[in-house]
Amino acid sequence: MEPLFINLAEAFTGWMISLGLDPGWAEAVLLVVKWIIVVTIITVNIIILIWLERKVSAFFQERLGPNRLGPFGIFQTIADAIKLLTKEDIVPSAADKLIFKTAPMFFIVVAVMLYTVIPMGKGMQVINLNVGLLFFISVGSLSTIALLMAGWGSNNKWSLMGAVRSVAQMVSYAIPLAFSLLGVVMITGSLNLQDIVLAQDKWWFVILQPIAFITYFIAATAELNRGPFDMPEAEQELTGGAYTEYTGMRWALFFLAEYTNLVAVSALMATVFLGGWQGPWLPSWLWIIIKTYAIILVFFWVKWTFPRIRMDHLMSFSWKVLVPVSLGNILLTGAGIYFCRWMGWC
Amino acid sequence: MFNLAAFSLYDAVFILIAGITVTAALGVVLFKNIIYSALSLILAFLGAAAVYFQLNAGFLGVIQILVYAGAISVLIIFAIMLVMNRPAGESNLSSPRTREVFTSATIAAMLLTALVAVIGFTQWPLGGRPGPDNSTGLLAELMLGDYVIAFEAAAILLLVAVVGAIILAKGGENQ
Amino acid sequence: MNGQGLIKGLAITLKHFFQKEITEQYPDVMPELAPRFRGCLRFEFEKCIACGICVNSCPNDVLSFETEKRDKSKKKKLLSYTIDFQYCMFCNLCVEGCPTSCLSFDHDFELSQFKREDIKMIYLRPEGLDEAQDSPADQEEQKDKEQKQIAAMLKALQKSPQKVLSKLLEGEEDINILSELIQSDQKTAGKIAELIVKDKEKAVKVATGFINKDRKNRAQKGENGEGGDKDV
Repeated sequence: MEPLFINLAEAFTGWMISLGLDPGWAEAVLLVVKWIIVVTIITVNIIILIWLERKVSAFFQERLGPNRLGPFGIFQTIADAIKLLTKEDIVPSAADKLIFKTAPMFFIVVAVMLYTVIPMGKGMQVINLNVGLLFFISVGSLSTIALLMAGWGSNNKWSLMGAVRSVAQMVSYAIPLAFSLLGVVMITGSLNLQDIVLAQDKWWFVILQPIAFITYFIAATAELNRGPFDMPEAEQELTGGAYTEYTGMRWALFFLAEYTNLVAVSALMATVFLGGWQGPWLPSWLWIIIKTYAIILVFFWVKWTFPRIRMDHLMSFSWKVLVPVSLGNILLTGAGIYFCRWMGWC
Repeated sequence: MFNLAAFSLYDAVFILIAGITVTAALGVVLFKNIIYSALSLILAFLGAAAVYFQLNAGFLGVIQILVYAGAISVLIIFAIMLVMNRPAGESNLSSPRTREVFTSATIAAMLLTALVAVIGFTQWPLGGRPGPDNSTGLLAELMLGDYVIAFEAAAILLLVAVVGAIILAKGGENQ
Repeated sequence: MNGQGLIKGLAITLKHFFQKEITEQYPDVMPELAPRFRGCLRFEFEKCIACGICVNSCPNDVLSFETEKRDKSKKKKLLSYTIDFQYCMFCNLCVEGCPTSCLSFDHDFELSQFKREDIKMIYLRPEGLDEAQDSPADQEEQKDKEQKQIAAMLKALQKSPQKVLSKLLEGEEDINILSELIQSDQKTAGKIAELIVKDKEKAVKVATGFINKDRKNRAQKGENGEGGDKDV
């Protein structure tokens, strides 16, 4: 089972070369095919994920959740997706139409781009970038622009308000997000995610870097605009923030992108802190899925437990707590590494 | 000079990226709506990042995205939104005063001359090979080794600028 | 320590996560209703005495009814009872006020209708309720009264049959024949008296029947002395 997908990829490349294709081009085609597969899996996975969130949130509130369509209501999301696809596409007459229409596309593209660097198994990666971790952070920060475009393009004060809030929040939380990953990078000595996974064959970084894990988790929650940090799209006071004017499939794209981001961030957490695809008995690609889903469930748990945090508290928490703590963690890690070397442990 | 046989996928990708970048850069200047200008500026930044990636300078490319496309441009858009006081459709018109047009044209021409001169006079080590594979470590060694003074000076300069900005924004103490 | 509350909160939600769901699967599984659950307001026509307490106690003017004066008593006769259920707020005041407990809430809560008019519940007077509708005590009293009337009538009949019968019948001859019959036969007298009290028309018919039979008897006696007994 372990090299299943790698063998498949090799067989596919071999088949293309046997058809008379240049190996360089075969590589490029394989890249495209990999991408398409990743995008398909993401989309199908989102359907399961939305169902899971509704189910889990229901269980937290002692409800049953969707249970009408199919066993345990598993087809509910598909029905919703069909509904969203067939809904009327409304573009407000006062909206800046080009920006309004581009924003959701940009958002989903950025979200899907995150998957290029995540190692989904031993040697399984769309592209093995040397600066994979940094790529993830930087591409993740691009989603602010999509939100800003949505908020501006809608020409609606709630939308703009939500967009400005979410951008302010994401820009502030990107700093502790990056800083908390720095400790791991310092220990590994590499920004390559495969190297980071391989460095965890003895100790997971959640044990070596517990503070970084917690700060990263909090910052990632804010970066994902998820509860309790979902102020920018607070339905009760901003009527949905930047998404207010969006309907049908355009809105669904935002929704899809948010969940895509959630999976990507959870997969990155699993990779960086929980040993990635490493694990006994099961094949590596199954391990990363299990770990990712475990983290996603924790995200659900947090979201459905805590109430929304006020905007100014949210900002001051980032600048006054998370940034100093993650900076202190870097200092501590550096000191620890030198102490280790001095003692001759590593 | 142009050899069709040597035209590879690499070149095609470069031409695509360069085309997007130059178009976006032109858009920054020519769009009448300043928000469109700012957004095409982001596109230009991303194009530059893509060029870095193609040159195997992944670290630079990623930093380009993170700092310029992800942060600086957002700040620019914020600033635009805060100070914009006329309809978006006519927020980026070229100045009606000929003196200003003349000045900016002169400055642009001077910059262009300087850049062309630099490009023309530099001996480019064209080895036909892409840069080293792990450029991050080399960059780190250069920045925190050979050029540490310049690096730290830049850091202090930025710090001073930030403190200055805060004092300006908050206003001096009334004494 | 900061953050203790957060962990406590997480523990609470986790506990609820594993607890049993409290959702009622309503259309599939009917909910268990408390005995005094107030569902649909029901009305029992037979018990109603048309006192109007329910109408007076209703705060929302949900209840109304129509009555008619009853023939021989001061009591009102209920014709129809209307519950305009859309205004009901299930306060239970009408049920508490009803002296004969003819109003009650049942457990039927699926009350939605397609049309507004269908929400109104109108109870019409059931057929053949006139006798049965009276309360037992009332019937007893009625019977007593009737009995007395019958006895009085019987006395009057036996005392001066002509006078009483003149109200019932026309024709001197008929009255004479019947008065003779009454005086000779106790049974006939009782029957006529009872019928006069209860139903005058029937009494007339029966009386004419008796008279005709008597005439026939006499005619046969005239012709044939023995044949008369056969027809009696």
